[in-house]
Amino acid sequence: MNLHDIWRRARRNSTALLGLGLWLAVVAIVVFGPLVSPYDPTKMNFLSVLKPPSLAHPFGTDSYGRDVLTRVLYGAQVSLSVCIAGVAAGAVGGIGFGMVSAYLGRGYDMTLMRIADLLSAFPSFVLALLLMFALGPGALNIMAAIALCYLPSFARTSRNMTMAVKGEPFVEAAQLMGQRTSRILIMEILPIIAAALVVQASTAAAFAVILESGLSFLGLGIQPPTPTLGGIMSDGKDYFQRAPWVLTFTGLSICIALLGLNLIGDGIRDLMDPKLRKVADI
Amino acid sequence: MRRFLFYLGGRLLGAAITLIAGVSVIVLVLKLAPGDPALTALGEEATPQAVAAYRAQYHLDRPIWTQTLYALGDLARGNLGKSLTVARDLPVASLILDRLPNTAFVGLYALALAIAISLVVGTIATLRRGRLEDTVVTSAAVLGISMPDFWLSYLLILALALGLGLFPSYGFVPLGDSIPQAFLYGSLPAMAIAAPMAASFSRFLRATLLETVGQDYVVAGRALGFSEPFLFVHFVLRNALIPYVTKVGMQVSYLLGGVVVVERIFGVPGVGSLMVDGCFGRDYPLVQGCALTFVGLVLATNLFIDLVCARLDPRRAY
Repeated sequence: MNLHDIWRRARRNSTALLGLGLWLAVVAIVVFGPLVSPYDPTKMNFLSVLKPPSLAHPFGTDSYGRDVLTRVLYGAQVSLSVCIAGVAAGAVGGIGFGMVSAYLGRGYDMTLMRIADLLSAFPSFVLALLLMFALGPGALNIMAAIALCYLPSFARTSRNMTMAVKGEPFVEAAQLMGQRTSRILIMEILPIIAAALVVQASTAAAFAVILESGLSFLGLGIQPPTPTLGGIMSDGKDYFQRAPWVLTFTGLSICIALLGLNLIGDGIRDLMDPKLRKVADI
Repeated sequence: MRRFLFYLGGRLLGAAITLIAGVSVIVLVLKLAPGDPALTALGEEATPQAVAAYRAQYHLDRPIWTQTLYALGDLARGNLGKSLTVARDLPVASLILDRLPNTAFVGLYALALAIAISLVVGTIATLRRGRLEDTVVTSAAVLGISMPDFWLSYLLILALALGLGLFPSYGFVPLGDSIPQAFLYGSLPAMAIAAPMAASFSRFLRATLLETVGQDYVVAGRALGFSEPFLFVHFVLRNALIPYVTKVGMQVSYLLGGVVVVERIFGVPGVGSLMVDGCFGRDYPLVQGCALTFVGLVLATNLFIDLVCARLDPRRAY
C-alpha cells in the first residue's frame, strides 16, 4: 500500500484527520499569528509586569511585561523550524544510508548498522548535551544535534523495510528493465516504505520539540533574546509560584502541537499494511 | 548451558566493542570543542609557562589522534581525570560514583512506576477494547507522550506539592540516609520521568496484547476449556511479555535523557545534573565522564534485557 492509497483511506480515519487538523491549525497560527499580534516579542513594558491572563493578554505577561502569547508564537516559529529542519536532515540522511545499506548488503550494511547501533547507545538528550558542549549553543548546532539523534532510527526503519521489499517481483522487474539502482530505490521502493517513514518523522518531530525545548529550558539551547518555547518556560520557572500562567500556557501550547503530530503518526500507523508495519517495528 | 555461555560471551564482546567506540566518539567530540582546557583549569591570567606546562602534562600539545589514544589509555585504567571547574581537582570518577546511586534510585523508581502503570492500563485497554475505558485510556496515553517532562514536573509541583502538600517540591534525601524520606522526595521526579514512559509502554503493550489475543493457540486454549483469566495470564500476557520487555529496554535510553532535566528541576544530586553543571562550567573531564557513564548504563541495560528475554522465551532454551 503506497502513500496515495493511505491518503485515500486516511480521509475516513478520524485519528489521522484530527491530528492533521490540529497540526495544520498549529502551523497556521504559528505562521500568521505574529503578523496579527499587536505586541513585540522582545520589547519590555514595565507598566504591565506579570499580568494574569486577560482579553488583552490571553496568556498573561512575563516579568518584563512582554505578552506571553506573542512570545510563544515567535518562539514556536523558531523551535518548530529548527526541529523540522533537524528531523528532515536526519530523515534524508538516515533514509539514504538505510536504503543503500539494505540494497548493497554485506560489509557495507554491517558497518553502517554498527554505526547506527553506536549512535543509539547514547541517550538522545545526552548526545545533544555533548554536541551542544562541543559545538556551542546556536540554532544550526541544535539542528545538527537533532539530525544526529534521529538519524539511526530512520536508517534502521528504512533498511529493514527495504530488505523486506527488495526481493518482490516489482523490484526484480525494474532490475530486468535495466533501471539504474538509484531510480529503483527512489521510484520503486521509496513510495512503498514512505508511509512508515512519515509515521517515524511525525514521532521524531514530536520528540525533537521536547529535546529542543529541554535544551533551551536548561539554558544550553538557542540563547536569549531569541524567544524559544523552552526559553520562555525557563523564564517562567523563576517566578512560577507568582505567575504560573507563563510556564503553564507555554507548555500547553507545546502539548497541543505534539498531540497533533502524534495523532497523525497513530492514524497513519493504523492504516498501514500490517505486514510492513511489523517489519518497520513502529 | 554451554550455548548460553557462548551467547553471553558474544553479547559481552559486542557491548565492549560498542563501549570502546562510544568512548572514542566522546573523547574525539570533546577534543573538537572550542576553548582551551588549560585556560579553563588555570584561569585566564595564567602565565604562558604555566599553560605550556599544563598542556605538556596532559598531552594537550600532541596531535588529536595521539590525545585520543592517551585518553583511552587513561579510561582503561579507570582514570577519568580531575574536574576542572565544578569541583576543583577532585577526581571525576569519585564525583560520579557519589551521584550514581541517586540517579539509579530515581531512574529505577520511575521505571517501576512506568511498568506498573502500563501493565494495568494496557490490560484494561485490551480487555475493554473499543469501549469507553479503552478510549479514555488510549487518549490519556497519547496525551502522555505529548507532554514535555520538564513541563509535567512543574505541573506536578503545582498540583501535588504546592496545592495538596503531599510531596516536597524540591530537594533530595539519599536512600542510605532515610528510606521513607528518600521515597517521599523521589516521588515527584520519578512521576515526571515515568509519565511519558508509562504512556508509551501502555500503547505498546495494548498493541502487542491485541495481536496475541487473536492467535490460534489462544483459540485452542479456549476450546480446551481454560478459564478466561487463566488464558489471559498464561497464554496472552506471557507471550506479549517478550516484545514488551524488549520495548522497555529500548526506552531506558529515553529515561536516562529525561533524568538529566528532571534532576535539575528537583535538585536531585545525580549524574544528569552533574553533566549539566559540567556543561556550564566548561568542565571537559566531567562532561566526558558523565556521558561515558550514561552510555555504559544504556549498554548494561541492553545486555540485561537481552538476557531476560532469552530466559522468558522457552523457544530459546539454553
